[in-house]
Amino acid sequence: MVPTPITALGVALAVLTAAGPAAPPAFAASGTIKIGVPVPLSGSYASAGEDILNGAKLAAEHINANGGVLGKNIEIVAEDDACDAQSAVQAAQKLIDNGVVAVAGGYCSSAALPEVTPLRRAGIAYVLDASTNPKLTEMGYPNVLRVIGRDDEQGPFAADFMANFLNAKRAAVINDNTTYAKGLADATVKALKGYHVEVVYDNAITPGQMDYTPVLTRVSSLKPDVTYYTGYFSEAGLMVKEAKQINMPGRFMGGDATNSPVLLKTAGPAADGMLITTAPLAQFLSGAKGYVAEYEKQFHAPPGPYSVYEYDSIGVVAQAIKDAGSDKPSAIIEALHKIKDYNGLTGSITFNKNGDRTRAVYIVIEVKNDQFVPFARLNDNGKWELMKQ
Amino acid sequence: MDIFAQLLIQGLTIGSFYALVALGYTMVYGIIRLINFAHGDLFMVGAFVGWSVLTPLIGARLHWGLAVLAALAASTLFTGALGVFVDRAAYQPLLNAPRLSILITALGVSLALENSVLIIYGPGFSTYPHILSNAGFPIGAAHISWAQLGIIGSSLVLMLALYVFVHRTYVGTAMRALAVDQDAARLMGINVERVIQLTFFIGSALAAVAGVMEGVYYTQINFFMGFLLGLRAFTAAVLGGIGNIPGAMAGGILIGLLEAFFSGYLSSQWTDVFVFGILIAVLTVKPTGLFGERVVERM
Amino acid sequence: MERTANRAAAVAAFALAAAVPFFANNYIVDVGLTIITYAILGLGLNIVVGYAGLLDLGYAAFFAIGAYTTALLETLAGLSFWATLPASLGLAATSGVVIGYPTLRLRSDYLAIVTLGFGEIVRITATNLSITGGPNGIYGINPPSILGLEISSPRQIYELGMGFLLIVLLFAVRLSRSRLGRAWTSLREDESAAEAVGVPTLFVKLLAYVMGALIGGFGGSLFAARFGTIDPTGFTYLQSVTILIIVVLGGRGSIPGVILGAGLVAGLPEALRFLNIWRILGFAIALILLMLLRPQGLWPARPRRPPVPARDKARQVLPRMEAGGRGGEVLLEVRNLRKVFGGVTAVASVSFRVVRGEILSVIGPNGAGKTSVFNCLTGVTRPTSGTVSWLGRSIVGRAPHRVVHLGIARTFQGIRLFPELTAFENVLVGMDHRARASIAGQVLSLPRARREEDEHHGEAMAWLDFVGLAGRAGERAANLPYGDQRRLEIARALASRPRLLLLDEPAAGMNPTEKVALTRLIRAIRDLGVTVQLIEHDMMLVMGISDRIVVMDRGTVIAEGPPAAIQADQRVIDAYLGNEDDVADGDEGGAPLVAEAGA
Repeated sequence: MVPTPITALGVALAVLTAAGPAAPPAFAASGTIKIGVPVPLSGSYASAGEDILNGAKLAAEHINANGGVLGKNIEIVAEDDACDAQSAVQAAQKLIDNGVVAVAGGYCSSAALPEVTPLRRAGIAYVLDASTNPKLTEMGYPNVLRVIGRDDEQGPFAADFMANFLNAKRAAVINDNTTYAKGLADATVKALKGYHVEVVYDNAITPGQMDYTPVLTRVSSLKPDVTYYTGYFSEAGLMVKEAKQINMPGRFMGGDATNSPVLLKTAGPAADGMLITTAPLAQFLSGAKGYVAEYEKQFHAPPGPYSVYEYDSIGVVAQAIKDAGSDKPSAIIEALHKIKDYNGLTGSITFNKNGDRTRAVYIVIEVKNDQFVPFARLNDNGKWELMKQ
Repeated sequence: MDIFAQLLIQGLTIGSFYALVALGYTMVYGIIRLINFAHGDLFMVGAFVGWSVLTPLIGARLHWGLAVLAALAASTLFTGALGVFVDRAAYQPLLNAPRLSILITALGVSLALENSVLIIYGPGFSTYPHILSNAGFPIGAAHISWAQLGIIGSSLVLMLALYVFVHRTYVGTAMRALAVDQDAARLMGINVERVIQLTFFIGSALAAVAGVMEGVYYTQINFFMGFLLGLRAFTAAVLGGIGNIPGAMAGGILIGLLEAFFSGYLSSQWTDVFVFGILIAVLTVKPTGLFGERVVERM
Repeated sequence: MERTANRAAAVAAFALAAAVPFFANNYIVDVGLTIITYAILGLGLNIVVGYAGLLDLGYAAFFAIGAYTTALLETLAGLSFWATLPASLGLAATSGVVIGYPTLRLRSDYLAIVTLGFGEIVRITATNLSITGGPNGIYGINPPSILGLEISSPRQIYELGMGFLLIVLLFAVRLSRSRLGRAWTSLREDESAAEAVGVPTLFVKLLAYVMGALIGGFGGSLFAARFGTIDPTGFTYLQSVTILIIVVLGGRGSIPGVILGAGLVAGLPEALRFLNIWRILGFAIALILLMLLRPQGLWPARPRRPPVPARDKARQVLPRMEAGGRGGEVLLEVRNLRKVFGGVTAVASVSFRVVRGEILSVIGPNGAGKTSVFNCLTGVTRPTSGTVSWLGRSIVGRAPHRVVHLGIARTFQGIRLFPELTAFENVLVGMDHRARASIAGQVLSLPRARREEDEHHGEAMAWLDFVGLAGRAGERAANLPYGDQRRLEIARALASRPRLLLLDEPAAGMNPTEKVALTRLIRAIRDLGVTVQLIEHDMMLVMGISDRIVVMDRGTVIAEGPPAAIQADQRVIDAYLGNEDDVADGDEGGAPLVAEAGA
């Protein structure tokens, strides 16, 4: 056989990979147990990354103050994934090489997805605190778990609310063409159709613009009873303000990524009455009162939406290490799947076979006088009820 | 309900910002043939400087009009000076180098400005005080606010003033002479360095005005805000014919209108495809933009 | 010697890079893979920006097209990675034509925004369509396998990437040394001159896009294979800009420079991770400083000169272009030619014929429209009306390079050589359009292409020898003295083997000795069988060598005939002396006609 360049390359590769010594995993012999936190620390989502990292730091502090795990302290190792695929792979790899026994974090789904590959190969657990893209746990990798709900759970929840609480007949759904927002929008539109709500508008805006009045003018002319924006808080703040300016009919609603103090500051009084579907904020969780106070004391700002989920992600990992009695990555993965009713700040945590949290909880909150206040939730009978404010 | 008039007003408002920023691209290009990629970031810096001045003044219960004027003054001076500094430090030394080198330097300046602001003001969003109301008056079925009118009006006045300055004053004539032939202008006794500095100052100051107006009107600012706007303003400058001042104004307004009408009547998510499609079509027919002069190649 | 040493160093560096997975950890391997990806993309963009000198701000589009093609064909059609490669290359190349074709006539800054727009259009389309997975992109792309071995670990993909890089490297190196590479250089140096010596500039630019796109698509397929998942955020405008930074920072046109640039741009932010929030600022400042200190790039391109063949390799006998002397046949016929620029009539109405084998001079005061006539003949400008026929067929509206291919070559009033190329290379550019071997043949260095190249090199030397420049063949054109530059321009024009040579003021600026040599040269050219038409102000030269003379004034022909008749023509004398308006023109070059001619 005449070797073609490609077969020659194949032989060379086979030889190389057979002979190549695998890099020895650099587990810390003693001292601390390292948990990796890949989050965006540069670029436009850096503020969200910072907030998540703060949650991780607080969790480690608390665990260590209570004697750590297996007699060792937890050490948080942060890496910047910049919300970008290439950086994300490198961040994950850096964490692996740094000897982390598990990873808990992530923000952008578009960075979390590529991070999964090296982590899976290294056999290291990845507990997601904020990436809500269904795909992440549906790839069937046992090392991927998450403590937050999925877009395809939030979408039907939002649709149920619009149809059965607001009694909407016509709805407009706007996303920003990011992975997360499109996923949530698609899930919502699908569920809305199931409730026979007419979707009069389903389109995407370009994030980073300032003026969305042309789109909103169009939406207004379609006279929706409710407009649901599934993108992020900064555009949502502008949109709710601009919707007021043009007297847009119907309620303005946002998905869980609109849930940020920036929205209140941008929109000012115009945000009054806006509704947001979200996993419960730390501020509304009875168990998290102390957390909010401590966060504010230490970081001089109120916690963002995801830091408390990161706090719980670190918490379940620590619990799993305790349960396993070992900081071996594979043992941690096994123990994570066995966790039952872990008592986190965000409620009781158990994972289903996909690694998703069972009974992810959503509520609807309302903007009132420059604050987020609880608004409505589904009770155990599947009926809507107003929440105490 | 017909939304044409409403979209028209919105398009003019958006286009005003594009036009003001496009002027800076076109002026700098006209004079040293550089696509100043950092220009959108000067707009962003202008917004932040304005924020730093305006917020405490409003906090101190100064009349909002005076506070905005103070913010505008501080922001134009600082940003104008910053533009001149950037030119002196990063562009002038490279004027005789290959043109791509200076382009890359401009990209470096853009990154440096963004990340400086990120470090100083943080990665999150800052918010201007809410000082404008939505009051205004109806035009047919549409509503135009005093704020929108102010934005459209003041950018028109600024553009007109610039046009008069460039075409009626000695310095303006020097600028135009420089754009045609720098060496000849130098031989005619024009202080080329000073004119270039003035061009950078004016271009950057106009961007700063746009930045402060954007902050006051939309209230939300962020270190990354100059990117998308800069890109669109650059598109506007090219559409009008880069190097041509009325072209930049017309291009800016036109892009604003296209954006408003396309996303209002057709599909918002395809707007940029449409705008770039128009741009390519125009350039295919008129290779130097709508108002660009033909460049005569001498054999 | 130096060349061998360089080659050895390159091979050693490559081997060292290929060995990285044996001693480095996974993180380093991953960073290395990013550098490889960027190096591949940088080498592709370098063809467009570095070789052809065209600005492209949307290069990520080709990267995206390659990645999406591989991803879609693998996931939807179930093809293997290798089977998707030809499709991804083909589609990328096609899109290179699509973006290239409508934009080639644009000046470079307009090209910048059009390419940027194209990049954005591709990205937004991928985001909006559902077949491309919308913003989710495509996942579950299978890793490639070779001989049943799945390439999935970072180390294996790294080696695959090195293999890809090697192919791209060889392609880029060979391409730069082919005649296409030379055509790109000529384009960069002087586009109109390139066109005027037969380089089909638009087509050559288009090929730059296509070749660049090919490599971009190739890199995209590798990217898809590496991550197993792609989404539109990997193909933004910022990605295009990053690749451009790599090329310019490293050194446009320089292959080691581009690789160094890729290493810096992908590696520096990683190395600066310890700076945390300061890291991108640190990178930006480093970028500005590096550009200020090294405006030509960190590793500027050092042009690789083709070796100049020994002088005795010059083919002794120059091709004899046609049997001369058989006078009477009309080569070129111009009838009622008119050219108006805006409101200015440069050529009012001109008719004349060029007969095979003659030396025909066109004279007239400055502003008479002589050069405008030349420009109309050579396709540089399109006449407003009138006909120009070559061997009986109209050539109005043909691009200048086509006119050259038909057999009309020219020189310029102001010398337009390719200053950075050697004298030898200048002549080669003039010959390249006659090459028969395919570009692929040249890139692969097939025997036939090599043979042709040897022949051409020999012929180029012969042309240089013909004009007396064989001894300076290896010198940069810009370094040659003025008279030599004139003669080099003539050699370059002759190298296209024209039947008619148009010389625009060949004696301008020459001293008397040089003029004598020029006269001899023009006669020798005619003796080769090349018909010569020249514009000239030096009356001694004109009267000495011309068979016929056409006199122009104010855009019209006022006299035509053999030298003796022209000297006696009253209208001619008036045109030069009698009319007050034209007196000023006289001292430019229009020497006292009668006095000198009579001397």
